[in-house]
Amino acid sequence: MIAKHVRQGWTSGPGRWAIGLLALVLGLSALIVAPLATPAQAAEDSPAAQAVHGRTFRVATDTTFAPFEFRDSSGKLVGIDMDLIRKIADIEGFSVQIQSLGFNAALQALNSQQADVVIAGMTITDQRKQVYDFTDPYFDSGVQMAIAKDNDQIHSYKDLQGTVVAVKTGSEGEAFAKQRAAQYGFTVKAVDQSSTMYEMVKSGNAQAVIDDYPVLAYGIAQGNGLKTVTKKEPGASYGAAVRKGENKEFVAAFNEGLAKMKADGSYKKLVDSYVGHSSKGAPASRPGFFELVRQAFPSLMLGLRNTLAITAISFVIALAIGIILGLWRISPNRILSWIARIYVAVFRGTPVLVWAFFFYLGVPQLIGHRISIWLAGALTLSLNSGAYLVEIVRGAIDSVDVGQMEGARSLGLTRRMALRRVILPQAVRFATPSIINQLVIMLKDSSLLLAIGFGELLYQAQQIYAANFRVTETLFMVGVIYFVAISALTWMANMLDRRLHR
Amino acid sequence: MNFEDPDMDTRRLTRRIRQNQSRRNQGESQMAVSIRDLHKRYGDTEVLKGIDMEVKPGEVISIIGPSGAGKSTLLRCINALEMPTSGTISVYGIDISDPKTNIDKLREHVGMVFQHFNLFPNMSVADNIMLAPHMLHKTPKEDARQQALDLLETVGLQEKADARPTDLSGGQQQRVAIARALAMHPDIMLFDEATSALDPEMVGDVLEVIRSLAEGGMTMILVTHEMAFAREVSSRVIFTDAGIIEEEGTPEQIFGHPQSPRLQSFLSKVL
Repeated sequence: MIAKHVRQGWTSGPGRWAIGLLALVLGLSALIVAPLATPAQAAEDSPAAQAVHGRTFRVATDTTFAPFEFRDSSGKLVGIDMDLIRKIADIEGFSVQIQSLGFNAALQALNSQQADVVIAGMTITDQRKQVYDFTDPYFDSGVQMAIAKDNDQIHSYKDLQGTVVAVKTGSEGEAFAKQRAAQYGFTVKAVDQSSTMYEMVKSGNAQAVIDDYPVLAYGIAQGNGLKTVTKKEPGASYGAAVRKGENKEFVAAFNEGLAKMKADGSYKKLVDSYVGHSSKGAPASRPGFFELVRQAFPSLMLGLRNTLAITAISFVIALAIGIILGLWRISPNRILSWIARIYVAVFRGTPVLVWAFFFYLGVPQLIGHRISIWLAGALTLSLNSGAYLVEIVRGAIDSVDVGQMEGARSLGLTRRMALRRVILPQAVRFATPSIINQLVIMLKDSSLLLAIGFGELLYQAQQIYAANFRVTETLFMVGVIYFVAISALTWMANMLDRRLHR
Repeated sequence: MNFEDPDMDTRRLTRRIRQNQSRRNQGESQMAVSIRDLHKRYGDTEVLKGIDMEVKPGEVISIIGPSGAGKSTLLRCINALEMPTSGTISVYGIDISDPKTNIDKLREHVGMVFQHFNLFPNMSVADNIMLAPHMLHKTPKEDARQQALDLLETVGLQEKADARPTDLSGGQQQRVAIARALAMHPDIMLFDEATSALDPEMVGDVLEVIRSLAEGGMTMILVTHEMAFAREVSSRVIFTDAGIIEEEGTPEQIFGHPQSPRLQSFLSKVL
């Protein structure tokens, strides 16, 4: 479940447009170039090709599911799915407009007629066949085991006695491993991401990993430090999906193009380029650290921008909540005071992640209306921090000497006037360091929003190492960026504090 | 009487107090403060056990007695900083525990000076004095400031108008606090151990200001440990012990001819 959502991602509007435009340009150029380059082919146009000739299909796909779809270092969407559908479009004479949406969003787009086709490493199942029509299978998946490159103890499942095997939550690999755990005497440890599994094996926290064969093969080709010693297990097949009963011409043309590619060997070449031993995904030499920084920089900066933006929005809301409910908390009105108490108890007593999932996944099902990821993220962070700020505000007001209130009231000022003119200005001074502290906590907590696919800094980092498997270096970069951002923020906040309260 | 409308309230209260003052001048005696059977209890501890007292307009009353006798509590009940557990307190005929009474409006007429000054450290000396007149009487800023400067002159601190309270000595802070209370033109002034937190050399200046107020005819109630001063300025002295009024009389009676053994014992310790 979670893995699927993590893979969903958040792509910025302009980014999505750029991809669409790119696909359109590619499709158009294919249309223009194809007849010129292979004039013989036009004469041989089959009925299937004629039916789709010159048409454009909107193709929805996942954001990052290497090696089927991911962005290369230049930001271009590549992968087996992407190359395949572009090549088939080329052969059959139609064009594609590719939308990188995330797996679940791609299916939603298909259902709501926002897209004509989904191609996203999608397993053909009987359940899905009731809703969609599938093309012929274009890829036979199945699970495989991998171990650390330098491990010469494990040669078969039998050698797994007493070891830990890492799998991905909810994956076929997990089901496969669990069925055999008792027989071979190993422990199954499920995690959320492929890269996490590989790091577990490399760090010795697990001895083997069982995962989808193409994902595993791509990782090995990328130099993730693992190797395979057993054959892949036969398993599911992937197909492209259309709405049931619609776009039959597309299915026919896709099947024909796929058959042609299989016949002339170009299909095998394409797949091998990603998962074969001489895959093009594997760079001749691993890029150095500074090359890695250069490649990662644009998406990390986008992540930083999103992190800062969601923190800023949430902080403003949290501060408003903190001040208003902080005043309710100390109000002589019992009802207001209890509302504030309950609010604080609820949000301090529950983890941030629970609310992130609740607002993004739970509430839409309750109200029957989608909630944007920005809204869900801002609600999560601001309501959580708001609870702490209520207590900070209350504590600051309490720390103002009781004589101040008596002094003001003895002059005839109302409680409200006394609070505004005498108590709060003094309380702000007490509260400022704690409020700055809360802001820093909030900025760091915003990384939890990656669990719902919000494109903040750590999420971007995960997207990067999901494709290049350079986990340690990427996390180091992220750590440095967080540190610099938080240091700068703290410094600015302290300057402001000093200027206001000289 | 209806005091629910705030504007009506202050006008009526003011008129009423003025009437009382004029009645006093005509020889009629309406009490400035009238307390009947006042009890104050905190949990199991009864601090005040039935106090009856009256203060005529223009009187200067000193309340003396040992620590824990309930002197401060009694004083704080008069401007409703503490609410009585039972009994009645009326200020110029207005019952403070009547829910219809607007306590904020009443307090504008009852100035209070605290042991620890309670000046507002987030504003200047002048702003401390201007705050209430500006917010409550809508006195324009310039007028309020002029009045603040005049008041500071009467307490000898005109040059400190723009200083921060924390930059002043204790004695200076207390004189500012008195000026701040006077800025609302109160009809009664309450002093709660106004000199107890001061260094001895600061006490004189503050007492000098209080003395001049007494000479100007201000109705005042002082809780004090300054026996010599109480004897000098008071029209009447009240000795409280263990939550009751043990003895009261003129300064001459209380200090010259104490009757009760408790007062005699108290005076032997403090004089």
